[in-house]
Amino acid sequence: MSAITALRNLPNTASGRAIRLGRRLVANYVLRRLIKALITIWLVVTATFFIIRLMPGSPVEIYIQEQMSLYGMSYDDARAQASAMFGIGLDRPVLFQYFDYMGNLLRFDMGTSYKSFGTPVISMVAKFLPWTLFSVGLSLLLSFTLGMLLGMITAYRRESLLDHVLSTLGSIFSSVPNYLVAMVIIVLLGGYWRILPIAQMRGSMTPGIEPGFTPEFIGDILFHASMPVATYVLTTVGGWMLTMKSSTIATLEEDYVTAARARGLPDRRIMTAYVGRNAILPLVTQLAISVGFIVGGSALIENIFVYMGVGKLLIDSINQRDYPVMQAVFLIITVAVILANLLADLLYSRLDPRIRTGGGGEA
Amino acid sequence: MSILTRASRNVLYDLGRTLKLLTHNRVGFVGLLGLIWFILLTFAGPSLVPLSQESSMTEIYQPPSLAHPLGTDFQGRDIWAQIVHGGKDVLIVACITGLISTTIAVILGSLSAVLAGIFDSFIMWLTDIWLTIPHFPVLAVLAAFVKLDNVWLLAFILSFLSWPTLARAVRAQVLSLKQRDYVEAARALDLGTRHIIFSEILPNMMSYLAISLVFSMTSAIYAQVALVYLGLVPFATNNWGVMLSLAWTRGAIYYRDALLYIMAPVMAIALFQLSLVWLTRSLEEVFNPRLRTSV
Amino acid sequence: MNLHPSSFILHPSEDQVVLTVDDLWVEYAARRGVVKAVRGVSFQVQRGETVALIGESGSGKTTLGLALIRLLPRTARIPRGRVRYYRAGGECDVLTLSPQELRRFRWQECAMVFQSALNALNPVLRVADHFRDTAQAHGSLDGAEAQERARELLRLVQLEPDRVLRAYPHELSGGMRQRVLIAMGLLLAPQIIILDEPTTALDILTQRAVIDVLRNLRQELEFSLIFISHDLSLAAELADRVATMYAGAIVEIGDVYEIFEQPRHPYTRGLIHAVPTVTGDLEQLSSIPGSPPDLIDLPPGCKFALRCPYVQARCRQEEPVLEMVSPGHFTACHNWKQIDEH
Repeated sequence: MSAITALRNLPNTASGRAIRLGRRLVANYVLRRLIKALITIWLVVTATFFIIRLMPGSPVEIYIQEQMSLYGMSYDDARAQASAMFGIGLDRPVLFQYFDYMGNLLRFDMGTSYKSFGTPVISMVAKFLPWTLFSVGLSLLLSFTLGMLLGMITAYRRESLLDHVLSTLGSIFSSVPNYLVAMVIIVLLGGYWRILPIAQMRGSMTPGIEPGFTPEFIGDILFHASMPVATYVLTTVGGWMLTMKSSTIATLEEDYVTAARARGLPDRRIMTAYVGRNAILPLVTQLAISVGFIVGGSALIENIFVYMGVGKLLIDSINQRDYPVMQAVFLIITVAVILANLLADLLYSRLDPRIRTGGGGEA
Repeated sequence: MSILTRASRNVLYDLGRTLKLLTHNRVGFVGLLGLIWFILLTFAGPSLVPLSQESSMTEIYQPPSLAHPLGTDFQGRDIWAQIVHGGKDVLIVACITGLISTTIAVILGSLSAVLAGIFDSFIMWLTDIWLTIPHFPVLAVLAAFVKLDNVWLLAFILSFLSWPTLARAVRAQVLSLKQRDYVEAARALDLGTRHIIFSEILPNMMSYLAISLVFSMTSAIYAQVALVYLGLVPFATNNWGVMLSLAWTRGAIYYRDALLYIMAPVMAIALFQLSLVWLTRSLEEVFNPRLRTSV
Repeated sequence: MNLHPSSFILHPSEDQVVLTVDDLWVEYAARRGVVKAVRGVSFQVQRGETVALIGESGSGKTTLGLALIRLLPRTARIPRGRVRYYRAGGECDVLTLSPQELRRFRWQECAMVFQSALNALNPVLRVADHFRDTAQAHGSLDGAEAQERARELLRLVQLEPDRVLRAYPHELSGGMRQRVLIAMGLLLAPQIIILDEPTTALDILTQRAVIDVLRNLRQELEFSLIFISHDLSLAAELADRVATMYAGAIVEIGDVYEIFEQPRHPYTRGLIHAVPTVTGDLEQLSSIPGSPPDLIDLPPGCKFALRCPYVQARCRQEEPVLEMVSPGHFTACHNWKQIDEH
């Protein structure tokens, strides 16, 4: 029984109306996705807490041991210091520690760095996060748009030389691990052939330039971001292209396309509103997976290009055993991906009206 | 005839058919050749090419020659020999990971599809959550806590990360096959869940499973080499990932002579990945007839 | 098989004809060989009349419909034939129109409306957008006019304009979608409308509604209707003339009353007797044994011979040509004189 018919059979009492409202909310796709995202975030946060705190060889315990052996502190002193470091009240029962932790998080307090003593983690994250958002966001935009266009072109010009060349190139670059592509760019283009000034392209911006919406600054950050962005785009565009190509081919065979031609609609209109708008839907569902992949890869790419994003921060903190930072960055990265997924889901519901009315299947 | 013999006969027949289709597609055939070449190189090669661990300061970063086909590294050791010996770890971990994750995925995915209900919802919920979390950061953080010096442990953890995607795909396949007539018939004859899975559904999924296996191998290689490169996995032997890491930190960016030292493992890994992926292209054609270009 | 079109003129005055199909052949390229989907079909359509093309699936009726507006898939080709379209002020051969002219011809002069069961409507666009696209593509109506006409037509097909125009295709039922498609077909007031299986995949009540709507439309507006179906009872309700098709050729064509009262082709007769009537006895029901022939490897002689209760030696060797039974009534059967209902 569909939601609509179920709604109709309820009496028009206050409780009936409440149940109707409840049912309509549950059927609402947007709300469902939002709730799912929140639950996932909560799960990740909780899991991170317990891993950090409770796993054998947990960083907290290690830290305490280190403090005791290196500085000869007593257990209580070491523990008190760890409390301050991690932002957890270690002398209280675990459940209260958990609540403390959650409370701190909601106030954006993630403790202080272990290595850079005294620096609040949140400020470090705030310094590095924008760069990752910038490079990843730009890359996704470029890669998606390019992949979509090339996909449609190769679908309309199936079996042509262009199709074969593009598909082969796309396939090659998508199969090779992205960090290898990054290395090759640096080593070949930078080190061997000296085409790119890699020494100057290091980092996310040239120190000394005033941040702002000036062409000088924007040009500079694009200069520094060009290699990471090129790597992300090169290694993902092939996948988009292939998906769009097969999706377009499938859509071209749909009845509404034939019917549109029967109505004498111009080819341009058919290509955009009838084929394009429908063929793009599978790509949007892939968007979510792609975000996770690029952000995951940023740990390596940023490391290789010495780009000051959270990926680099994560790896650095792991190598330095800077647990508070590690914990925070991991959380941020994961939450960012979950939110990006949510956005992709919402975008999909905007594009496909069949999903919106609650009767459609999951995206 | 027992269920297992019948199932294995179907499997063999399917494999034979698959091989024929593989060689029919050009890209897939090249991929197959590449795979065979690498298997021979990494498993048969070491017995043919000796590996010397001694460093020779006079032979640092030598260009390619008869004695050293790919030149020498920062310690004067032969690069070609290192490549030949360095693939084993990578391939073994990839294979084990592929097998473990495919097995988990197949079991959970098909059970999920066949049993449906709460079990299905739970598994789907699990994979859903898993898919929204970025995998590599999880791996990196795990590596900080757990000493990944054991090949099996590494493979297990890697497979743990890739089974959800596969399980979803397996479930989708099984669901579509479940609707087919011969499964309905088997169900009507009350032949039992185990029979349905092994004798009716699995044999028809062999090629599909092969693709899934290959994909989990490629992601295992990606993750493994990345972890080694970042120095998050303590390594004992010299493998491609180690070569990569050493070459990078020894400044291959700056020394032009060191180009081969870094390009050698890069090419080895890249070509191996390519072979695997190209192999799946032809397998893909088996399932998506629309992509087929000829009869 | 070449049939002279002059044999088919029902009325002496020429300017009543809107469409003449002359010896049309359509072939598809398939793996096994060439599929001869339409073989030498000729017929005429008069202004304002309704012609029914009835046949089983595979008889070539849909291919014929698609050929009339040249909407065949890429693997198809038209090796022979002419499709002449007449209008006050001129005539043309549809098969030789340029792409630009063809685009204008489609929908403006001749609209082909597909089944509602097919997703003939773009799922991401509202119904109003579909109407707007159609009007804009032909430029003959401006925005406001088009809107008004759309609302008028939707009312004519018993739909509520406000509700339907705002809706997405998946929000409408099958019957509603079919009626929307019909209304859209009439938007530019074409001279010919081709309906492909208008009532298939609809439940019996909705079928009734659609049939009533079509009847009503025929009274209100002037257009020629060609509808393609396997449902002979539909022809009885709506058609002026019926043509039955088998294996890519027209085997009988004539006035609807004559055909139903006295069919002169075994296939037509078989079709009529396969439909149960409310009052008839079960013994009178019969089905046609066998199945349609392979269109790649057609047997010589009459293609219906294998399934025909009246078959003789001559049938297997010589393919029958359309012969006149009475003015306007033609059949392609050697033994038509033997077929007698009374």
